[in-house]
Amino acid sequence: MLQVTDVQRTFKSGDTTVTAVGGVNFKIPEGKFASIVGQSGSGKTTLLSLLGGLDKPTSGSIEVDGQDITKMHDHQLIGYRCRKIGFVFQQYNLVPNLTAIENVMLPMEFAKVPVAKRQARAKELLAQVELSEDQMKRKPGRLSGGQQQRVAIARALANSPALILADEPTGNLDSQTGKMIFDLLHSLSRSQNTTIVVVTHDLSIAGKTDKVFRLKDGKLVR
Amino acid sequence: MRLFDILRRSLRNLRTAQMRTILTALAMSVGTFALTLTLAASNGARQYGNTIITNNFDPTALIVSKDKNFFKQNTANQPQEYNPSFGTVTSAIGGSRQIQMLDDNDLARLRDLPGVKSVRPAISLGLRYITRDGARKYVATAQAYNAYRTPDLLAGAIPASIPTHSIILPEAYVHALGFTSAGAAINQTVRLAVNKQASASALTQLLAKNGANGLSSPPANSVEERFKVIAVLKKPSSLLVASNGLTLYVSEPDIIALNDIATKGSSDYHTYLTAYVEVANGTNSANLTTVQNEIQKAGYGAESVLNAEQAITQVITVLQGIVSIFGAVAVIASLFGVINTMYISVLQRTREIGLMKALGMHKKDVARLFEIEAALIGFFGGIIGSILAFVAGTIANPFIAKALGIGNTKLLQFNAAQILGLIIALIILAILAGFLPARKAAKLDPIVALRTE
Repeated sequence: MLQVTDVQRTFKSGDTTVTAVGGVNFKIPEGKFASIVGQSGSGKTTLLSLLGGLDKPTSGSIEVDGQDITKMHDHQLIGYRCRKIGFVFQQYNLVPNLTAIENVMLPMEFAKVPVAKRQARAKELLAQVELSEDQMKRKPGRLSGGQQQRVAIARALANSPALILADEPTGNLDSQTGKMIFDLLHSLSRSQNTTIVVVTHDLSIAGKTDKVFRLKDGKLVR
Repeated sequence: MRLFDILRRSLRNLRTAQMRTILTALAMSVGTFALTLTLAASNGARQYGNTIITNNFDPTALIVSKDKNFFKQNTANQPQEYNPSFGTVTSAIGGSRQIQMLDDNDLARLRDLPGVKSVRPAISLGLRYITRDGARKYVATAQAYNAYRTPDLLAGAIPASIPTHSIILPEAYVHALGFTSAGAAINQTVRLAVNKQASASALTQLLAKNGANGLSSPPANSVEERFKVIAVLKKPSSLLVASNGLTLYVSEPDIIALNDIATKGSSDYHTYLTAYVEVANGTNSANLTTVQNEIQKAGYGAESVLNAEQAITQVITVLQGIVSIFGAVAVIASLFGVINTMYISVLQRTREIGLMKALGMHKKDVARLFEIEAALIGFFGGIIGSILAFVAGTIANPFIAKALGIGNTKLLQFNAAQILGLIIALIILAILAGFLPARKAAKLDPIVALRTE
């Protein structure tokens, strides 16, 4: 369960205060697939950073699995990101000098999972996102955009997180590959019972999610 | 994150930026190379110094003089008052000093001191000549043979106690005296001639006979003694012993007897510039120092091998320090290379650092990752530099030995513990150099870092 209550995030810019997210409230039950849509500059990415514990709100609370992450210390937030959150980025953000399997193993390294377990889990996840044995051993430079995003999704699932946050996961892909990635996320939310929040400006994709939140000027609109 | 994982990741990162890693490590290796060679050279020089000492000094003996100031440098800038009872010593650079001489009473006093095993006067006797039947005459110097020496022999053998009227001949005299080989000289007889002081009665007779002119050419008055050759010494490396390799060695009683002949009737009779005091269990430096203090308390000057070693060590340490400065400067310069490399690495991997922090990597692990990378560069620099120095030194050693004429002595002596210490020091310095870049990486905001192109 993800519960966001009165979350506000403001930034100081000289003498003026800019409100990126202003008093947002929503609730997403466990295992649901939700999307946040909005124009560029509407505060989507800021909201996602707040949910992911990369940034702290100016006010309000964010509860994930009953824990209020806004009250966490920095080192607790790192643990939260490591074990409770999976990130999927528009730019894939794979480490270029690591193979696909090593990229998936990376979050498990941070979570101090034993080497043998890491390897088995990474292989299993890459197989789930339909990467071949040969592709698993390739570095990102030798994988297509769709394949790289599938590796990123496998990496997001590595530590069995409660919440997967995807920032424009299909933004860099053609429509057909984008649909495939979207379907993959959808099926994962069901099979793994993981809550997924996708930020997108693609309404056709958003329309297929369980819940859609529209963000305008930092506020949710109907 | 586990330390092993950080180490593996650091190695991986260095391998990815292979050329940069190699070049930075090479820069560090220059300083290591210089420092390893400096340490090796000072080890070699120290060992060489000790070899010289053990070849020239009896380690269990003290050199004793009547004059306390004998062993001090002649630095006095005030005139010394003349004392008719003292001998005068002129140094090689021309400065003269008066030195009190030891006599038999002094030797007896020294013998009675606690811890003293034996006392023998230091005699280096200038002979009139050495010759044998059918050979020319050659000038020579004779000394008592001392068993602490273990010289290389060309022929014969040196017994523990040398019989009287036996002689150990240096190689140089073998052919001069007409022997076909060193082996052929063994058991042959040579004759040593010693100048004898003209007696007062002989001089009176001469004066009566020829007037004052007769005294200007006193009679050639020398005594010849016969000695049997028991061993032939190989010519020592001129750099290993202080002597010129032309000293003849005879037994202790023989040198005293010859010296008595040469000095009888003169003021030098039974007086000696220095004496060797052999200390009981003198290989123990504590015993040596105790006896040295006793002798000094008794009013004599005393010098030990330890003092000689200290003097040599001091010189080497100063030289080592000077050369080390150059190596240290090279290491410091290369540390800026490490700082530069690490900063570039942080800049290039900003996005990657942001990603890893977003995925749950702790700040301290990020810092550790970069510090270990710096440490590994230091380690590689140290390994490369010391291996190159070792190889260069091993190749150069025979050439250096040949050029200096020091036989099989290796002037560059590598010490594993020193090299290890040097590498550890480099690793620590590299970690310090990597500190600021590592801190920069650890402090990166993941959101900002992830936005970096």
